[in-house]
Amino acid sequence: MPAAYLFLLLSGALFTMGAVGFLVRHNPLVVFMCIELMLNAVNLAFAAESRFLNSLDGVVFAFLVIAVAAAEVVVGIAIIVQVYRGGRQMDVDQLDLMKE
Amino acid sequence: MVVAFAILAAWELVTAAGVVAFRRPIYNALSLVANMLGLAVLFLILNAQFLFAAQLIVYAGAVMVLFVFIIALLNPVSDVSLGRTGNEWIYGLVFGVIFAALLGGLLVNRGLTGRQGTATPEAISAVGNVQAVGAALYTKFLFPVEVTSVLLLIAAVGAVYLAMRRIR
Repeated sequence: MPAAYLFLLLSGALFTMGAVGFLVRHNPLVVFMCIELMLNAVNLAFAAESRFLNSLDGVVFAFLVIAVAAAEVVVGIAIIVQVYRGGRQMDVDQLDLMKE
Repeated sequence: MVVAFAILAAWELVTAAGVVAFRRPIYNALSLVANMLGLAVLFLILNAQFLFAAQLIVYAGAVMVLFVFIIALLNPVSDVSLGRTGNEWIYGLVFGVIFAALLGGLLVNRGLTGRQGTATPEAISAVGNVQAVGAALYTKFLFPVEVTSVLLLIAAVGAVYLAMRRIR
């Protein structure tokens, strides 16, 4: 098996763990951390493809993913703080205002 | 090389399990810091020095400081619901196994079917990694970079607006 597939499989394993955590955990902060885990796994796949296909496009994409993830974290944490200041519980099951 | 990869892969998997499974959010955050540091070293193995630096500065630096700061500020209680029911963990693990099998099969079968480019490690090290990435960013990918700058501006304005808003 070529070395590239080892990196891709590691990336897939990390992505799966992030997805499981996203589905299972209740604390919105931890859910956010699991999203970060998934984004990092995708970055690893981009970097591996970039290295083994001899192209810089993957590195550029991973850099853009990092920038977008930073923006996402800023807005998400602002929303979480706002929810917390509203006196609600830190539990994603309780945050169902958008359901009705 | 192989030994380094094996150690790093084990490190990544263990710290990712820590992110998912620890009950206290501060332990999750510290596991995530360890995970991101390991990932930065993996980028170094993959000959992506620019990503290594960006990962350390943006993720392990800025983003994780934000997480830890918010955890210290809000002081959330540990996840009591984690110990209460086992059902969601069973469903989660079943989903994980199926998802990992699909993803692994897909990656191994269709992993590297792209066309080989010209940026071989020798060609990159001739001009320098950061210079090569910068040239690609500001010529071929100029439009995405500009759109990303607008996105970052919108995110900053949105965060300030959310922080200033009064709860009724």
